[in-house]
Amino acid sequence: MPGLIPAFASVATEPMGLQLLPTDLLFLGALALAAVYGHSAAREPLARARWSRVLHSPGGGIACLVLSVYLAVAVLDSVRVERAEQAPLTVLDLVLTPLRTGMETTYSAPFATHAHARENLEHAPGLWVRDYPRLKFGGRHLALPEETARDLVRRIALGTALGFGVFVVLTLVINQLRGRSLRGAITQWWEPAWRWHWSALGVLCLGITIVGCLADGWHVLGTDKVGQDVLYLSLKSVRTGLVLAVLASLITLPIALVLGVLAGYRGGWVDDVIQYLYTTLSSIPGVLLIAAAALSLDLFLSREAGALHSLALRADLRLLALCAVLGLTGWTSLCRLLRAETMKLSTIEFVASARALGSPSAALLRRHLLPNLMPLVIITTVLDFSSLVLAEAVLTYIDIGVDPSTESWGNLINGARLELAREPVIWWSLASALGGMFGLVLAANVFADTVRDAFDPRLGPDAKGVQGRA
Amino acid sequence: MLEISNLVLVAQTQGASTRVVDDLSLSLKRGQTTVLVGESGSGKSLTALAVVRLLPPAIRVATGSVRLEGRDLLHLSEREMNSVRGARIGFVFQEPQAALNPVMRIGHQIGEALTRHRGLRGRLLRERVLELLAAVGIPEPQRRFKDYPHQFSGGMKQRVMIAIALAAEPDFLIADEPTTALDVSTQAQILDLLQATQRARGMGMLFITHDLAVAHRMADSLVVMKEGSVVEHGSRDALFSAPVHAYTRHLFAVSPRLTPSALLTPSPVTGEPLLAVRDLNVHFPQRGARWWSRTRSFAAVTDANLEVHAGETVAVVGESGSGKTTLGRTLLRLQPAQSGRVAFLGRDLFALPPESLRRARRELQVVFQDPFASMNPRMTVQQIVEEGLVAQGLLREPGARAAHVGNLLEKVGLDPAWSSRFPHEFSGGQRQRISIARALAVAPRLIVCDEPTSALDVSVQAQILTLLKALQQEQGLAYLFITHNLGVVAQLAHRVLVMHQGRIVESGAAREVLFAPQQDYTRMLLAAVPSLP
Repeated sequence: MPGLIPAFASVATEPMGLQLLPTDLLFLGALALAAVYGHSAAREPLARARWSRVLHSPGGGIACLVLSVYLAVAVLDSVRVERAEQAPLTVLDLVLTPLRTGMETTYSAPFATHAHARENLEHAPGLWVRDYPRLKFGGRHLALPEETARDLVRRIALGTALGFGVFVVLTLVINQLRGRSLRGAITQWWEPAWRWHWSALGVLCLGITIVGCLADGWHVLGTDKVGQDVLYLSLKSVRTGLVLAVLASLITLPIALVLGVLAGYRGGWVDDVIQYLYTTLSSIPGVLLIAAAALSLDLFLSREAGALHSLALRADLRLLALCAVLGLTGWTSLCRLLRAETMKLSTIEFVASARALGSPSAALLRRHLLPNLMPLVIITTVLDFSSLVLAEAVLTYIDIGVDPSTESWGNLINGARLELAREPVIWWSLASALGGMFGLVLAANVFADTVRDAFDPRLGPDAKGVQGRA
Repeated sequence: MLEISNLVLVAQTQGASTRVVDDLSLSLKRGQTTVLVGESGSGKSLTALAVVRLLPPAIRVATGSVRLEGRDLLHLSEREMNSVRGARIGFVFQEPQAALNPVMRIGHQIGEALTRHRGLRGRLLRERVLELLAAVGIPEPQRRFKDYPHQFSGGMKQRVMIAIALAAEPDFLIADEPTTALDVSTQAQILDLLQATQRARGMGMLFITHDLAVAHRMADSLVVMKEGSVVEHGSRDALFSAPVHAYTRHLFAVSPRLTPSALLTPSPVTGEPLLAVRDLNVHFPQRGARWWSRTRSFAAVTDANLEVHAGETVAVVGESGSGKTTLGRTLLRLQPAQSGRVAFLGRDLFALPPESLRRARRELQVVFQDPFASMNPRMTVQQIVEEGLVAQGLLREPGARAAHVGNLLEKVGLDPAWSSRFPHEFSGGQRQRISIARALAVAPRLIVCDEPTSALDVSVQAQILTLLKALQQEQGLAYLFITHNLGVVAQLAHRVLVMHQGRIVESGAAREVLFAPQQDYTRMLLAAVPSLP
């Protein structure tokens, strides 16, 4: 095990000005894999038809848009740039520099000009007053706090104008990519099949530019206990949630696929052993396993502390370990489904025909079983995705999740335990964590539903055959 | 009197609407049986569902009326309609398995209809249910009253369905393919029961079937449907003696008949058999509830002996569960055998090492029943047909393979240009042709055909049988033809084996087995087959 840490450490200090942590590499690698799948799916007519059904349906299309915004944030936050003499920063950090550096001393409410708590202020030399201090960043550009409302309106108007501009440019670019002339783009873009998609794109553009304009001078979602901007923290949390869900799924998939197909295809004692394994594993409460793993990891990391040259790496390893634990405990349900489906498929007549033609087992698996298992794998993975995002929050809340120094929705909620007990109540951390999570989980669930509809053999493009049988 | 007049049913799919039943009129008198005959997609079941207003959501009534004693059923409220369904019009479905509630006792399912429509409760209800069970021929009704549907066989379940339909003493009974899912001997019993009940109670019956022989057995009058329209109607005798419409005549011509005139001349049996099976036993292990418990086994095939010679067709007939499909799968080594020897071209198939077995498979091929399950939905026709070539390492050059696939498609009557299409773009009959092309690709000597036509309409079935016979003459193929349909056997087989409960009870030349049977079971089976005049 001690050899592992230097290995990761060497990965973490790559040249080229980029400095990627293990989870960055794995996350970007997973996205590359998804891109490879997308490329191959685009060439296979059946998969292409199914995915285009997902994208064409209003729910699926909008969910995809929302998910890609989240994904973009997470990708920007996974590319780390080296800096001289300083801790590396991600591209997202650099984009959000005003938010990152605009620190206050402690709590402040959204769009506040003054801090949330009184401090001793020196009005004039020797004259100490206990009052709410002006913020160092929020509303600093205003001479008088009373101008707040006018400034906000001005910024919203600016953001709206900017948003419309971005939207129009995007519309033209997309229509251009779809091979339409400028004239066609103007006359045809508002076609019924795509109205929902265009509306959602418009709302997203407006939302992003308006928030951007506001955040330039204000703490849109307030600040936390140490004065960090909550909007910045929320955006940083996106990466944690997504990385966790993606990597845990990535670990789950091969285990479930190999064991499930093996059990279903080979049968006999192999099936018995695998069934025994997953029945045992799924009867141990997951939280217990995760807590045990988290504790042993803590012990391990503190012993190896010398080999870890940064706190960021340590936090990152903890996140990776959490992915691994969630992945290693989460494969049982998919495995069970795959085993049953494989059993069903291996008695189906086209598999029997292939066997009668003398196809070897490898060809049976590759040509007949795996392609027909893919819909089940995709449906289950997408459905499990949102529960993994939520699991991060729950586990972090009970202190067995990600490292406290990692920005995550779980940590925001964990902090809110005490904040909600204060008077006046501090609600914005909790609200923004919930909002961020809600958006992601809702989009993932809607996406999962449309994927299931498109991939379910009873509803899909090959439904004709199934109905014909009845 | 139940009168359907000018009924038009419309199916709505993605904006487009198509007429699935077009201007249908028929009247049903009490004490009479009207049979609706047609192939799949002719709209006969939809017509029946429209009468009781149980159409699937995508289909609606465009125009027309359904009058029961003068009252238009299509304009009743749902509440009024509920007192018509069951009480005035009984309904028997094709699949008794799907129509019965699996978690409700049989007695209660029958009682439900009586309570709703006749208000019976308690002891009276129980007595009436027992009467009904006895009336539909369920032995020991007292004991079976508390049984669940899974404890009944398919035929018994259909009897229960009939009891439910009869419970409220309806004036009309609609039976939608009530015997299609049943064995031929069970079918005969259910047809007898339906006819006797209809006569005894003076009900009017609308009987739906795709089988002309069954129609002949049941009908007072007939309505022949094709693609949603009535092509011909009339009394049974008039229609069967002198069909007028071309489609009706075509249906008559393609319906398989169990007559000696259809028989093939037996081929000369000479030399070594292609396939020789000796004392074959196949047992299915039935696993206990736990992996450590002792496994018991069920004998699916017992002491089977048979021979198939080059160029001949040997039919294996039997009812469901007789072991005929297991026999076929075992010969293909898709299913392990307990004991016995299978010699194919002089080699013992069960003793071959894996690599030689893979080579040997080239000469022993299979065509399955279900044209929808027998092809991987994600492969093109080209990939499906060339699968054997790839597996056997024949014709490694892609261009040569494509040309070979093109030839095969042409040979089975398909357009070679379709090789890049996917299976779901084809009809059932076309898919079965692709299956045959796939088997032919590796130039086999023997093809095991496992019910290759039983999922198809009669006209398509006739085409496939013609194709199989032509291929046999052209290439000297031998077939082991597994089927439950004795009419098909008479058209195709040189020799026949009859299986019953895993044993071959009778075997011999087709003429002798079909027209001079020696065994009681064979006689019973033949007697149960409804025949055309």
